[in-house]
Amino acid sequence: MTRKTLGLLALAAVVLLSLPASAQGPIRIGASLSLTGTYAKLGKNQHEGYQLCIKDVNAKGGLLGRKLDLVVYDDQSLPATAVRLYEKLITEDKVDGVMGPYSSPVSEAAANVTEKYKKIMVAPLAATTSIFRKGRKYIFMVISPAEGYLEGVVDMAAKRGLKTIAVVNEDTLFSKAAAAGAVELAKKKGMQVVFSEAYPKGNTDFSAMLTKIKAANPDVVVAGTYFDDAVALTRQMKELSVNPKMYGVTVGGDLPEFYDTLKQNAEYIYGATQWEPTLPYPGNQEFFETYKKDFGHEPSYHSAAGYAGCILYGEAVKRANSLDAEKVREQLLKLETKTIFGDYKVDQDGFQLAHKMVTFQWQGEKKLTVWPDELAQAKPRYPTPPWAQR
Amino acid sequence: MVGQVLISGVLSGALYAMVALGLALIYGVMRVINIAHGPLLMLGAYTTYFLYSRAGMNPFLTVPIAMAALFVVGVLLQRTLVFRVVDAPELSSLLLTFGISIALVNLAQLAFTSDLRAVEFITGAWVIGGLALSKPRFIAFLFAAAVTALAFLFLKYTRLGKAIRATSQSREVALVCGINVARIHLLTFGLASALAAGGGALLAVIVAVQPEMGGVWTFKSFLVIVLGGAGNYPGALLGGLLLGLVEQLASLFLTTQLSEVVAYVLLVVVLLIRPAGLLGGRQT
Repeated sequence: MTRKTLGLLALAAVVLLSLPASAQGPIRIGASLSLTGTYAKLGKNQHEGYQLCIKDVNAKGGLLGRKLDLVVYDDQSLPATAVRLYEKLITEDKVDGVMGPYSSPVSEAAANVTEKYKKIMVAPLAATTSIFRKGRKYIFMVISPAEGYLEGVVDMAAKRGLKTIAVVNEDTLFSKAAAAGAVELAKKKGMQVVFSEAYPKGNTDFSAMLTKIKAANPDVVVAGTYFDDAVALTRQMKELSVNPKMYGVTVGGDLPEFYDTLKQNAEYIYGATQWEPTLPYPGNQEFFETYKKDFGHEPSYHSAAGYAGCILYGEAVKRANSLDAEKVREQLLKLETKTIFGDYKVDQDGFQLAHKMVTFQWQGEKKLTVWPDELAQAKPRYPTPPWAQR
Repeated sequence: MVGQVLISGVLSGALYAMVALGLALIYGVMRVINIAHGPLLMLGAYTTYFLYSRAGMNPFLTVPIAMAALFVVGVLLQRTLVFRVVDAPELSSLLLTFGISIALVNLAQLAFTSDLRAVEFITGAWVIGGLALSKPRFIAFLFAAAVTALAFLFLKYTRLGKAIRATSQSREVALVCGINVARIHLLTFGLASALAAGGGALLAVIVAVQPEMGGVWTFKSFLVIVLGGAGNYPGALLGGLLLGLVEQLASLFLTTQLSEVVAYVLLVVVLLIRPAGLLGGRQT
């Protein structure tokens, strides 16, 4: 490339960058999402949640008298790419606000950029506590933290007077936190943790671990899992006839594929979910119907959290009557409300306090909410019979 | 407890051995380290999944079909891409097969989506004298053992098998003896892909099928062939069983988390004491 073309390019760049953004155009909200790569399916649901939120807000006249516009890039499920994209959104595209990406690792990486430029980022799909405990000022949490996933199972077990529990988890950020939360809660409730072990990601053979669990003979087994390991663990529990009175998993257990895969072996298994379309939150039913009509498939909790996160940001902007980060931040810290996703209230770190996980149990091919009591659709089927009798 | 764990070790070890044998074949004959071995296994798993879910076939009967299909894929890969790096420095073959691996995983994501699929066929276990023998894993073990044995017989007694071993020992001499080395390379890559696919087809009954399931198998196979002696075919068998047992025993006596650590520590120790692997390098 010659010096002259370089000069021209530089000139062009300067001219393009210095064009003033039209003051009364739409408010542009930027986000990077995992539209391809490992998290493609979940990222797409979150994207659709954002899209529906923008549509709904615009239908009600937009924000501060301006329409909303969504600028989305694909981070391919890679934290490093997300960092680049948020940098681009903020410095080149000069968006008016940003929304969070999908997943804890990607949010963790992107938060460094949004903090640097003092941009508010409501991060609806970041569930890892540590992200919010690093003194960051502008990031806000929507979903329940990983530590809360097994709360329901432990609480139900303690109420039934069960004494011993085994806790296992995949050795990754989220599952580790879920297991740690379960251990802490079980101890608080006076239960004895008789076995606890982590296994590496991608592990397919749990027979040694389960043999040890069988020897410890706990009343309850809970596992911080994703889908693969949840399925493999359940199958091998049956093979080795490990028969706890209650058995709960975290992520994966809530997918329809979990039941399709395990069939009747999924019965009686407890799982946790951030959100269900059946929960009696304000506007939830309408959200479910509109979403299904607009996108041709049912929303997942990723869709609902995305939608709710975007609504919360809008609400804070409305209350602040400004896009100024400090003013919006003040409102988000003060805000106490209920969206289609459930309760929202954060502490000074932006860490979610009010949102509740619900615990379900697979009963007769259906996932029925059994905890907390005020949201329960059914009574838990207890105790879990031995594998041979299912 | 130890008995139960030894059973699990042998059951998974046979699968390791079968998959790793493919990697050992390619390395032995062509000195190519095939990073795409795991993704080829993933394609085998998808073949089984689709034949099971769409055509309602018994997943264990799809094993030969998956192997045949991936044999063709392997031959095509060799014919179009891999033959270019056979004589190149090892870094080139690493880069090429790494590229193929990324392409295969992403194509699978595009074509099959990253949804998790599962073949729910047989569950449960036979209980013999207080020890549980997992049904799907045991049947997979029988298949893996049979396929591995056939592969060995093929290498040992057939003309083609002998030609493969001859090429692996010395390509020049093989050429001089009138062996069509390019054709042997095609056959080897096809055979290796078929072995990976067989492993994938059997795994589909045990774990969830998804585009990224293969990665860990590339590494495990690599570990196995280095343990046993790179390019040494009986070494792959020994290495596979050893890895299966070590993983399970480490899980029992230490923790599951440490089982991988122990496997890699074992690798380092073996490399220190016997740099060419337990059974030595490329003898056949």
